[in-house]
Amino acid sequence: MSVSAVSISQFSLPKAFQVEDHFTTISKPIWRWRRQGSPASRIRCGKREAGEMLATSMGKNYYELLGVSVDSNAQKIKRAYRNLQKKYHPDVAGQEGHEYTLKLNEAYKVLMRENLRKEYDASIGEMRGNYSSSSLGRTSSWNGPLRPQGLFVDENACIGCRECVHHASSTFIFDEALGCARVKLQYGDDEQKIEVSVDSCPVNCIHWVEKEELPVLEFLIQPQPKEGFGIFGGGWEKSANVFMAAKSFNKQTHNENHGRNSRASTVEEEETPAQAKARADASRKINMEAASGLFSRFWQWQNKPFWGEKVE
Amino acid sequence: MAEPAYTVASDSETTGEEKSSSTFSETAIGIDIGTSQCSVAVWNGSQVELLKNTRNQKMMRSYVTFKDENPSGGVSSQLSNEQDMLSGAAIFNMKRLIGRVDTDPVVHSSKSLPFLVQTLGIGVRPLIAALVNNVWRSTTPEEVVAIVLVELKAMAEIQLKRPIKNVVLTIPASFSRFQLTRIERACAMAGLHVLRLMPEPTAVALLYAQQNTSQNTNTGSEKIALIFNMGAGYCDVAVTATAGGVSQIKALAGSAIGGEDLLQNMMRHLLPDSESLLTSHGLDDIKSVGLLRVAAQDTIHSLSSQTTVQVDVDLGNGTKICKVVDRGEFEEINQDVFDKCASLIIQCLHDAKVDTEDVSDVIVVGGCSYIPKIKSLVKSTCKKQELYKGMNPLEAAVSGAALEGAVASGLSDPFGNLDLLTIQVTPLAIGIRADGNNFVPIIPRSTTMPAQKDLIFTTAHDNQAEALIIVYEGEGKKVEENHLLGYFKITGIPLAPKGVPEIRVILDIDASSVLRVLAGVLMPGSHQPVNPVMGVRMPTVDDGHGWCAEALNRAYGSTLDLVTVHKKI
Repeated sequence: MSVSAVSISQFSLPKAFQVEDHFTTISKPIWRWRRQGSPASRIRCGKREAGEMLATSMGKNYYELLGVSVDSNAQKIKRAYRNLQKKYHPDVAGQEGHEYTLKLNEAYKVLMRENLRKEYDASIGEMRGNYSSSSLGRTSSWNGPLRPQGLFVDENACIGCRECVHHASSTFIFDEALGCARVKLQYGDDEQKIEVSVDSCPVNCIHWVEKEELPVLEFLIQPQPKEGFGIFGGGWEKSANVFMAAKSFNKQTHNENHGRNSRASTVEEEETPAQAKARADASRKINMEAASGLFSRFWQWQNKPFWGEKVE
Repeated sequence: MAEPAYTVASDSETTGEEKSSSTFSETAIGIDIGTSQCSVAVWNGSQVELLKNTRNQKMMRSYVTFKDENPSGGVSSQLSNEQDMLSGAAIFNMKRLIGRVDTDPVVHSSKSLPFLVQTLGIGVRPLIAALVNNVWRSTTPEEVVAIVLVELKAMAEIQLKRPIKNVVLTIPASFSRFQLTRIERACAMAGLHVLRLMPEPTAVALLYAQQNTSQNTNTGSEKIALIFNMGAGYCDVAVTATAGGVSQIKALAGSAIGGEDLLQNMMRHLLPDSESLLTSHGLDDIKSVGLLRVAAQDTIHSLSSQTTVQVDVDLGNGTKICKVVDRGEFEEINQDVFDKCASLIIQCLHDAKVDTEDVSDVIVVGGCSYIPKIKSLVKSTCKKQELYKGMNPLEAAVSGAALEGAVASGLSDPFGNLDLLTIQVTPLAIGIRADGNNFVPIIPRSTTMPAQKDLIFTTAHDNQAEALIIVYEGEGKKVEENHLLGYFKITGIPLAPKGVPEIRVILDIDASSVLRVLAGVLMPGSHQPVNPVMGVRMPTVDDGHGWCAEALNRAYGSTLDLVTVHKKI
């Protein structure tokens, strides 16, 4: 039995000492004594994978971690949990599987209990809100579980009439600085109120969009820092047509996943001049974000279909 | 992921094993070292096989006889057990005594055994001794268990024609972590390395998982089973959910009740003042107690198949017992034990959040599973007509341990017979002392392992610069009702009004059930600990832990106390 004081430089600290947010980060490996003769000391096919899985599981929510959809029932979650356990449990994968299994156990515990799952569903919405408030402060959060569609206000078209805020005050918020309305909480009010508020918009700038589209749109509608040249330019700008920008953004990232090298040629084939402009806008932003490191973070929580593929 | 910063080999270890070319040669064996019987099983490449000793026995008695210089165990030697028992030279039931202090009621109830169990009642280990040539030769439970293990190891090495190093041992669910260290110590003394310590019912659950995959290849359907295991020393219950070879333990419950309690109740029934027989530990007393014990044992065995038994025994000290005992009497005198069994089942089902109608199979194993009352009690508590029949009640636990040994050694089977996994839970809550004398659990009972949980505490006094982290394991509300695991001090807390510094305590349990306690101080507004974090592997307590807590209390009082912080949501 040994006692020792751990200095920060020597060992990585457990998560609790590092990051406040319980949901976004996976725990960092705790230092540990290696048990001799335990599977950790042997080479296993699962061992390397487990390490990789840990790395890719950073910042995943519990559904993504288990590779299940948000509306999965208990049976599906159980099956996914057991399948993953069979691959990454330390009995199989050795000590490397420890941190990953910890996360799995936590995810399973929460998603299998109705009350905890409800709380969690609410909190992933909030988490998205928190995430953005720390970086950009302008994306909506979700009330209750994620649904296939969400509301989006095209701030370029909004005339600042405040009708929507009046009808559904928990869903919409009015940004006094920019003079336009925005969604702060998806499904913050009951459906009837939301419907009335959408209909009340005189310029029809409130749109129902696919859940997957929403983060991209909310991201692109935000004023982005504009590169300046000396005293000219600089400041902030918004994309003029956010839907176009989103479309090319998605196309761009789609292409990045499939054929990294051929992306320019394939995109140009079917472009109208307007699209070309939007694409140029978007790609400039993407490059800019990538440079500042923001893009990679954004990408991490934005959309995650690889998870499931990798697991199978 | 980075390699661990450093590696510490355990002292009894050599590093040669990893070079071994064939994975088969390092397959861990399963050992079930019971209170009264022990057995060894191993995965032989296609199935689990129980090893037999030279007398063709699969189940061997877990006792050690001290005679002359060399102690010999029940595995190898051909001894007339009854005779040894009468002479005071045989030591047994050590699984009931290992890791217990002399204030423990279980130790006190062992004082009627026909050898010396001396207690001083101050929280140290009891003195245990065998009578050798009219001298009380002292020994320890660890030593006795180690002797049995050495014999089991030697037996397995001869039959498997290879050195044995790694073992999976089954243990009672109610064992404290301190008791587990004692079992590990016994293994180290025997030259064995513990790969896993498995609560007995979870080993049975793994066997059940295997039986279910081979019967039913449809991995989707989940089956819930309740396992009730009662041997001579302990009673354990587990609820497991099984699907596709994965045995997911939902809850565990256990208590130090078993056949030994039934036996003692029977001895008291046969001879009401049987406790007074052993007050002087004379040779004749031991012989009388031994005879009474054998008679009581035979009576219980007979009552499993008969409804009445005629007991006729001469204790040799002028006392003759001539009595007819029927099954009803037996059940009546043991009502408390049976009630406790039922309450364990209810508690386990409750912890697992499972209703009796969800349970597809009820498995009863262990030596006591032959007692009709036990069977009927489990059936009625689980509201089932029939018990699961696919298992040998005495071999189930050791077979499960052998399966886990094969799985944890990295073996695979072409027919998928080793496509198994056991997902274990913590049998007892672990936490620290805070809010006065209260036990504050950090990892609750029946938490899936590996587990990592943290809780924030704060200082109890203004300008408190140090705090004691005292770690306990158990279910009691007050610390005294729980097992002490260890303690350490956090120093250098910045001077601040009480309630300001955040003391974060993290408990981490890995899949082989190793517990680490980390504690560090955070000041409001900072995410970096003020000082290096303390990391302590527990348990740290050694012998005499019964009075450590008291000594700490005497030395520090409440000056280094902690209180819990209720997290703002």
